[in-house]
Amino acid sequence: MSFRKPSVLPGFGLTFGFTTFFLSAIVLLPLAALVLSAGSMHWSDFVRVVSSPRALGSYRLSFGASLLAATINLVFGFIIAWTLVRYEFPGRKIIDALIDMPFALPTAVSGIALTTVFAQNGWIGRYLEPLGVKVAYTWIGVTLALTLISMPFAVRAVQPALQEVQRDLEEAAETLGAKRPYVLWRIILPTVLPALLTGFTLAFARAVGEYGSVIFIAGNLPMKTEITPLLIVIHLEEFDYQGAAALGVVMLGISFVILFAINLLQAWGRRRHVRAAH
Amino acid sequence: MSITLDQVTKHYAGVPVVNDVSLDIAEGEFFVLLGPSGSGKSTLLRAIAGLSGVDHGRISLHGRDVTHVAARKRGVGLVFQNYALFRHMTVADNIEFALRVRHMRGRARRKRRAELLRLVALEGMDNRLPAQLSGGQQQRVAVARALAHKPEVLLLDEPFGALDAKIREELRRTIRGVQRELRITTVLVTHDQEEAFAMADRIGIMNQGRLLEVGVPHELYARPATRFVATFLGAANLFLAHRTPDGIQVGGKTMGISERSPGSPEYEVVAVVRPEEVEVAPARETLGSRYLGHGVVDEVTFTGALERLRVRLDEAVHAPLLAAGDGDGSTALQVTRTRHAHRGFEVQQGQSVAVGLRRVHILPTPLSSFTACATSAALADALSHQPLLAELVARMKTRVALRIEPALGRADEPVDGQGEFFGTTVIAAESDNTLRAEWLLRRGVKDLLVLPSHAAPPQRVLIHWMADAARSATLAVSASVLRHVPAEAVYVGIFPGRGDSERHSHGMRELLDARSEAQAAHGLEMRTELHFGDVGKELTRRLAEAPAQMLIVGISELQHFAEAFRTLLDGGRWPVLIVQRGAL
Repeated sequence: MSFRKPSVLPGFGLTFGFTTFFLSAIVLLPLAALVLSAGSMHWSDFVRVVSSPRALGSYRLSFGASLLAATINLVFGFIIAWTLVRYEFPGRKIIDALIDMPFALPTAVSGIALTTVFAQNGWIGRYLEPLGVKVAYTWIGVTLALTLISMPFAVRAVQPALQEVQRDLEEAAETLGAKRPYVLWRIILPTVLPALLTGFTLAFARAVGEYGSVIFIAGNLPMKTEITPLLIVIHLEEFDYQGAAALGVVMLGISFVILFAINLLQAWGRRRHVRAAH
Repeated sequence: MSITLDQVTKHYAGVPVVNDVSLDIAEGEFFVLLGPSGSGKSTLLRAIAGLSGVDHGRISLHGRDVTHVAARKRGVGLVFQNYALFRHMTVADNIEFALRVRHMRGRARRKRRAELLRLVALEGMDNRLPAQLSGGQQQRVAVARALAHKPEVLLLDEPFGALDAKIREELRRTIRGVQRELRITTVLVTHDQEEAFAMADRIGIMNQGRLLEVGVPHELYARPATRFVATFLGAANLFLAHRTPDGIQVGGKTMGISERSPGSPEYEVVAVVRPEEVEVAPARETLGSRYLGHGVVDEVTFTGALERLRVRLDEAVHAPLLAAGDGDGSTALQVTRTRHAHRGFEVQQGQSVAVGLRRVHILPTPLSSFTACATSAALADALSHQPLLAELVARMKTRVALRIEPALGRADEPVDGQGEFFGTTVIAAESDNTLRAEWLLRRGVKDLLVLPSHAAPPQRVLIHWMADAARSATLAVSASVLRHVPAEAVYVGIFPGRGDSERHSHGMRELLDARSEAQAAHGLEMRTELHFGDVGKELTRRLAEAPAQMLIVGISELQHFAEAFRTLLDGGRWPVLIVQRGAL
């Protein structure tokens, strides 16, 4: 498509210019600065910083817990969205509003609240303790915090898609002899799959970048419960800006690869439909 | 019978959306449920499919009671208006869906799929996605999919609604062809009468939750039993006419000799004249049919094969026109003429023509028009605007006349001159209702409605008759009322004394007789109740139980009536329709 093409809607030049400027100023330039800052390091220093056992441990925790949290939200977000879309019950509107709470809450507050509940002497933690399950100050706590703060993304992504699944489809499947689980698996899930993937992606992206809520509940033991964003902050506090930038670049890279992979998956799913047609 | 519905009733938020529907559909029959939107036809179809439950009644498919059987076990195929194809699946997968669910082997599945695609003329489309097909093609796929598991019944819910005219026509032929080839019992729901005529073996017409009439298309068109069917199935001119010993009189001129009923007194009826049964000619002498009067052509519209005229009858012609054409409120006579007739006699707007009627059909309904009767013009006028009466008049497409009787209810007024009252007489409920009712009934009023000023359309109509002589007429009037009001009908049988077992079984027999007569002779589905005790008291108690109730009571003589009903009537709390028959 040519940029010159006359359009029904005026103002393309202006809006496009604004878009490029905005993206550059807010997103691309800072990222470039980050990469440049890391690039000013010596290559061996860079490798040493980013592959130190402490850094490797933090990647494992950050990305592992984020993927786990996003997966949990994929399942439970779907169920919550389903309940909200499909059923009419007293308090539905309130629950619907509660979903957005993690958006609005300062993440540090979420972290403190979670710690209060799940610490060894917390409301829930004290009952889990005798069972040998420690939540606070372990990777479980990290996952829990990440699940909490990324949950709205999963729910809100799936909700509109579920709303659009026509009852007719389910009814058609039912008259054709399908049982409920079969309808869910073969009709509903495939229809909302793109939305589910989007929700997963958003939840994952949010979880990877999370800092505030995790540091309270994680305990921050090096190699064990230390997330990468925290490690970056530690580098900063030591005035090691280059080290922090190096870790940032690695996070950026891994996140980009994962998000890109999910996008490819989506595109592949769409193409599969089209290809099946020819 | 392939599909049997027995008193199927479904309420939604307290209002019956399907009201006491009983119907038999034969093996291999193409049945069309026709009705305006909101008439309950789709709900009924969904109930047959098992997608929505019923509150009352039974549904049987091929003799198997499926009232409480889940949709997936009913063995029906359902086609939706918006196709409801699985968009992420290919045509092949869509069609094979029911077969996969049933774990059919791959080869057998492919064979069946090929068969079905041939049937709906979509060979070679196997690997397309629904999004790559046109609307008509998608609906064909939906039909094939619904037939895959060899259902015993095919249900089609407005299947052509989303398609344009030409595709519609083509798909109609395809579906009719498929139905003939498979000889599968089919029910199609539509609001389009042309579609119903084109496809149906039989048509059932629904309005306000009730199945009004069932019949083969041309019979329903030529001899409708109700105003609604007469005007919904094509255009119709409705006249208030009189049935006299000489025959049917419209505007004082005798029309339908064939409908003569010798010996009976004159009474008012509703006559249906289809626009194509109206003839116009330059003069009375050149008419080939019976002369009605002269009129002025208001409007001439050319629609291709036919020419439509609107003719305003001269004031001298006293033929009250209730509704002309599509009931748009105008009182001009609607006429359609063929090209042939047009060539014989060309008319222009403003021209005066002689009007004749070729064929007049009399509705069997006993309720023709209403007369608001009061002691002064102001009171009669106020009564004619009472909400329930206005609603009934609008729904029945009839009219209210005003009648002033200054002496109404005065005991010293001598009774003279019978047969002056036509249609249903209405009086406002005040304090001396019994007195005024008696006064009118003695002077030949046959149907009398006592109407409280606040009465709204009823949700339940109680029916009772005090003598067997009035039974048939009461049922006929009740059926007529209930065709226009979405209410539940309950026959209340009341027997004197206490209900011992012998009396009880006698009472039950009477109830069953009444129910079967109502259904067979008047197409009225009603529930029945058995009570013992005093008629007036029992009815009053029953009426007081719930709001929005109405009573229809049949009587054959006045003395016992006044005794039994004085308290109930004078209370003036409920609309009461009194049907007086058999007393001469």
